Amino acid sequence: MEFFIGLWEALPDGLQTVIWILLKIIAIILPLMICVAYYTYAERKVIGYMQVRVGPNRVGPKGWLQPIADAVKLMFKEIIIPSNANKALFLIAPAITLGPALAAWAVFPFDEELVLADINAGLLYILALTSVGVYGVIIAGWASNSKYAFLGAMRSAAQIVAYEIAMGFALVGVLVAAGSLNLGDIVRAQSGNGGLFSWFWLPLLPLFGVYVISGVAETNRAPFDVAEGESEIVAGFHIDYSGMAFAAFFLAEYANMILIAALSAIMFMGGWLSPFQGWPILGPLFDWVPGFVWLVLKTGLFAFLFLWLRATFPRYRYDQIMRLGWKVFIPITIVWIAVVGLAVVYQLPWWFD
Amino acid sequence: MIYAKRRKRMSTQEHNAPIDLESGKYVKIWQGPQHPGITGNMALELVLNGDEVVDCKTHVGYLHRGFEKLMERRTFIQNFPIVCRIAVPEPTFNEYLYAAAVEELAGIESPQRAQWLRTLNLELMRLASYLMWLGGIGASFGQATIYQWTVTHRDYVLDLFEEMTGARVYHMYIVPGGVRAGLPEGFEDRARAVLDGVERLLNEIEKVLFKNVVFKARAKGLGIISKEMVDPYGIVGPNARAAGFTRDLRRDEPYLVYDQLDFDVVTGTESDAYARAKVRHQEMREGIRMMRQILEQMPTDGPFQAKMPNVLHWEVPAGETYVKAECTRGEYGYYLVTDGSQYLRRVHVRGPSYTHAIAVMEKLAVGTNIADIAGLMVSLHTYPPEIER
Repeated sequence: MEFFIGLWEALPDGLQTVIWILLKIIAIILPLMICVAYYTYAERKVIGYMQVRVGPNRVGPKGWLQPIADAVKLMFKEIIIPSNANKALFLIAPAITLGPALAAWAVFPFDEELVLADINAGLLYILALTSVGVYGVIIAGWASNSKYAFLGAMRSAAQIVAYEIAMGFALVGVLVAAGSLNLGDIVRAQSGNGGLFSWFWLPLLPLFGVYVISGVAETNRAPFDVAEGESEIVAGFHIDYSGMAFAAFFLAEYANMILIAALSAIMFMGGWLSPFQGWPILGPLFDWVPGFVWLVLKTGLFAFLFLWLRATFPRYRYDQIMRLGWKVFIPITIVWIAVVGLAVVYQLPWWFD
Repeated sequence: MIYAKRRKRMSTQEHNAPIDLESGKYVKIWQGPQHPGITGNMALELVLNGDEVVDCKTHVGYLHRGFEKLMERRTFIQNFPIVCRIAVPEPTFNEYLYAAAVEELAGIESPQRAQWLRTLNLELMRLASYLMWLGGIGASFGQATIYQWTVTHRDYVLDLFEEMTGARVYHMYIVPGGVRAGLPEGFEDRARAVLDGVERLLNEIEKVLFKNVVFKARAKGLGIISKEMVDPYGIVGPNARAAGFTRDLRRDEPYLVYDQLDFDVVTGTESDAYARAKVRHQEMREGIRMMRQILEQMPTDGPFQAKMPNVLHWEVPAGETYVKAECTRGEYGYYLVTDGSQYLRRVHVRGPSYTHAIAVMEKLAVGTNIADIAGLMVSLHTYPPEIER
């Protein structure tokens, strides 16, 4: 033991910092990957029950090992590169998609103090990274040298650009109300004696709705999954991908979904705050619950909503999605930002004191 | 909702402008023969301008099995395993039409009980086929849940077929001179239970699919068949009824026991994909109503098969006939020519899929969005195996 401590102290300071950060990153990424794996399992189970069947139940007890089996299968599959595909871009695209989806978690506050990088421009960082992800989709569609993939990539690009704006405006409302770009401060701004009625979802209700729906569109999920519309363009941008290259897109999609769900919890549902904070009897009763548990519960709520939407909605047509984004969501957000701005300046309701 | 008002879609394609594929303005894309949005094996060759389809060509020929020719080399009874394979998801209509045509040529009258059993069999088949179709229209618009629900209930209907005929898909139940067997004991009650289940399912689908904003936004105004198109393009069945034509052979020229049943001919006015789905959805209810009457009024004893000659040396007198019936997709006809030998001289099968999937599809696809091609195709309810036989 002393040998290792001695070894650790012999390392230069810079290297110590790097190793510490790497360990922290692993501490976030590993649980996240497990979450992603079991989110796919949850999706198949939830949708299975909604479709009056039982979903995966063969691998391991009650099908619990299904995601592991899927991962093993994908790892051993050959990555087929289509002839005439641009090889370098074809292989780099999954990495470009997966990277930002994981990197965005760096500024995410899991609890009061539990955050890897507590930077003040956290919101901007997240907006920037979620936008980078679309490059992977575009590059994948272009590099595959397939018309279906190209159509999927074009749709995805246009759709994400449109919904990025709506989403960004919705977040502008949040930062106007909170007065900070730091995610931790945004949560702290929502604490109050009203419990769950102090959170931002109530004063920012239209923005909340726009944010969640844009989030679904941003992650290319049903009913906005035109980029991979099964019955239209087969699988869209990742039609030619197989093995781990495909798995990277898959992981990125689910990591993004969890991220959007968690961000909705942070921005509008009070993050790690208890929903009964400041209430007469229930407040003290639930005082012992750690903030992290509340955050997980709220994230799970939104994550379930994504699955629910997929099971019950047909797919929007592409031009209808664009119309919804540009002509409905963006005007709503712009109007509500003005309302929130006035409310904050004149301290109108009790939320912005 | 905001999409309730539908505007006429703006077309980016100049009117009647020639399509120059070399110009770089268009993309040619093949949808099929293997594609999740295509039912069975056929291909659509689409020319796209952006997302808009400016030209559509259908390609069939992937499923030609030469049944009409095969039937000329087999005795009358040997043809049974062949005819039911012509339209895969609904074999019973082929069996009935072939049996009816042979009976007409040979001058055999099937007993009354057999006619009731045949009607029950045909209506069950119609229900099973519509259930699969209803799931298909959901799945083609990206709503896979409906498909799982309807296929579950179709399976219950197939269970009934298994009891009734011994087979689930290709029954070979209706034979010249009658049917192969009567009903097993307690069948009526089990059939009623299945019909009740399907009726509950239809109510749920009404809520989940037909009242869904997205489905309305996509299916309304898609693939409108104008009244002028119906006759020149040979559009029959629910597709014509959705356009406002009250044509139904079961009512216009009743066969079997349809004249003793009380049912409505369902029509629509809009004639778009939504109206076609709605007409079929409503027709399933009518079918259930009919089957309840059949189960109520059907004679339970008596012969179910007429006296037949030795089928191994069966010579049908020379003659020709055309027999038609209303299948799920419209008028379905068999044209038979015999020359007095043990074999058929010539067979021609007239299925509605031929006109619906080729001429009508090519006409309706132009000007739609590529995303709607699968939904449009399914909304016409066509089966490639029946196009080519």
